[in-house]
Amino acid sequence: MATVVPTTLEVAEERQIVGADQLPEQVTLWQDAWRRLTRNRMAVIGMVIIGFFLVTAVVSFVWTPYDTWRQALGITYSGPSLAHPLGLDDYGRDILSRVMGGAGIALSVGVGASLVASAIGIILGLLAGFYRGKVDVLISLLINISYGVPDLLIALILVVLIGRGIQNIILAISITAWLGMARLVRGQTLALREREFVEAARSIGTKNLKILSRHILPNALGPIVVQATYLVPAAIIFEAFLSLLGLGVPPPAPSWGRMAVEGYKAIQIAPHIVLAPCVALSLTVLAFNWLGDGLRDAIDPRMRR
Amino acid sequence: MFPRREVTRGTLVYAFQRLVLISFTAVVVSSIVFIGVHQLPGNAFASEHRATAGTEAALLHHYHLDLPWPQQYVLWLEGLAHGDLGESLVNLGTQITPLLLREVKVSVTLGLAAVLVTIGVGMSLGVLAAIRQNTWVDYTASTAAVIGYSVPSFVWAFLLILLTVSGFYAWTGGAIYEDIGWGKIEQIPVPALALGLPYAAIVARLTRASMLEVIRQDYVRTAWAKGLSARVVILRHALRNALIPVATILGPLVTGIITGSVVIEYLFGIPGLGQEFVTSILSRDYNIVIGVFTFYAALVGLANLTVDLLYPLLDPRIRY
Repeated sequence: MATVVPTTLEVAEERQIVGADQLPEQVTLWQDAWRRLTRNRMAVIGMVIIGFFLVTAVVSFVWTPYDTWRQALGITYSGPSLAHPLGLDDYGRDILSRVMGGAGIALSVGVGASLVASAIGIILGLLAGFYRGKVDVLISLLINISYGVPDLLIALILVVLIGRGIQNIILAISITAWLGMARLVRGQTLALREREFVEAARSIGTKNLKILSRHILPNALGPIVVQATYLVPAAIIFEAFLSLLGLGVPPPAPSWGRMAVEGYKAIQIAPHIVLAPCVALSLTVLAFNWLGDGLRDAIDPRMRR
Repeated sequence: MFPRREVTRGTLVYAFQRLVLISFTAVVVSSIVFIGVHQLPGNAFASEHRATAGTEAALLHHYHLDLPWPQQYVLWLEGLAHGDLGESLVNLGTQITPLLLREVKVSVTLGLAAVLVTIGVGMSLGVLAAIRQNTWVDYTASTAAVIGYSVPSFVWAFLLILLTVSGFYAWTGGAIYEDIGWGKIEQIPVPALALGLPYAAIVARLTRASMLEVIRQDYVRTAWAKGLSARVVILRHALRNALIPVATILGPLVTGIITGSVVIEYLFGIPGLGQEFVTSILSRDYNIVIGVFTFYAALVGLANLTVDLLYPLLDPRIRY
């Protein structure tokens, strides 16, 4: 006789299950963005090129056709041949091996500097945008003064002061590269902190740290990812600049910028020495820019230009 | 092309405020470098074997390096107030201010030439791509823009050197060639192109995007309907308004060109501020390093101020 009266909760659950197949497929924001990204031809080509250089970089850490530093006097400057597909440089070193090794350096510096700079930029941007007032004035002043000097000069003087190891190079690049990220995150935070869901979180007593990490940061993540992607090629070019000026990763490490400037001395008799690292560098930068453009369009279709 | 605009009092006040801010930035930046450099161990003459103990003491005294650094800093600030940046530590007796003034002229000439390349090439490509939207012209120009932007200035430099130094020389039997260096007018275009082309690509992209927005607007349709010539409609009606968003990146662009010129000057052996910086930092001539920082901070500030003062010319709604 006793019938169990279903509670409202059970009814709701039942309805959800019944209607599930009629609902449109549930897609998260990131799944949706990924789908749009993989439909973008240029972004996919970019990812393939980046993947190729990543694999090359990883392989170069354990194996290159020849040692990147081994010199062979007598056959210097010789052009491409079967034994040396990209030829030999001014010290008789195998250029293919050195381009492979250069990929490792370029990607370590590029990705490393992008991560470090993003971390600094996100933290300072969040602080400036969320707390406003004195914190914001201080951080914004720092940003504006740093924008007043060419970043290359700051990096150069820092490298001279702290030395030229690969970690120091990453640090020297990050010390200026965070500015753009901080500006972006500050702007995003300023806008997000006024939104209702932040207001709601604050009204139930959520701590500031949790509001920043759980409510504001995830909502600003889209533009952050795009900016971090663009930071990678910028850092790669920056490292090449430092190497060109003789202040990059110290020799005999095969940095692309250093290889190019070494080949520059012999550009008329052996252009292949200059061209190989330049092509590798430009291709990598191009691939990251394509990926960045693709990400920008995929994450926020309204930003499409 | 532009309406005459009187210089208002507001503009003057604004420019004055900015100039004060620029001087402030220059002093702060060079102070940071000054203090940082003076925390380094050792002194500039410690390793010079030709200096005896007496000479070294005399040298240190001459440069005030025997004083504690706060006192040196005050002396340096006094010098700066008189426009005196001190003497080179390596080439003894060389006054830094006249040296850098001579070099900044070279850098500014190269920079202006590069800006001309950037705006000329960038805007023509962008306008072409926009008025021929979705044709092969557009696709070629747009692809060229992404590639142009991804190829850094020094790679452009190597390609242009290969083309002019080796290519033209071989093809014309030595009649046309480029010699690297500075001092002759025909030595300017190649480094200016190398410096300007990556940024030209950015300008092209932006010009295309903003042109596409503008040419769909009613007043442009009206202009076509009135039977105006294509040249007048595109250049006078559309391009002028399309330029406003493009102008917003001129500031970062000028800073980028100034940064790029450090590398380009080094590669082409151009005696500008950038090359001076590299040589002096490698020879640890810190007095010059500090001086170059002061000059660059002023240069970046003045360039950005110039760009900001140009906005009201493009967009009369902007007033200072």
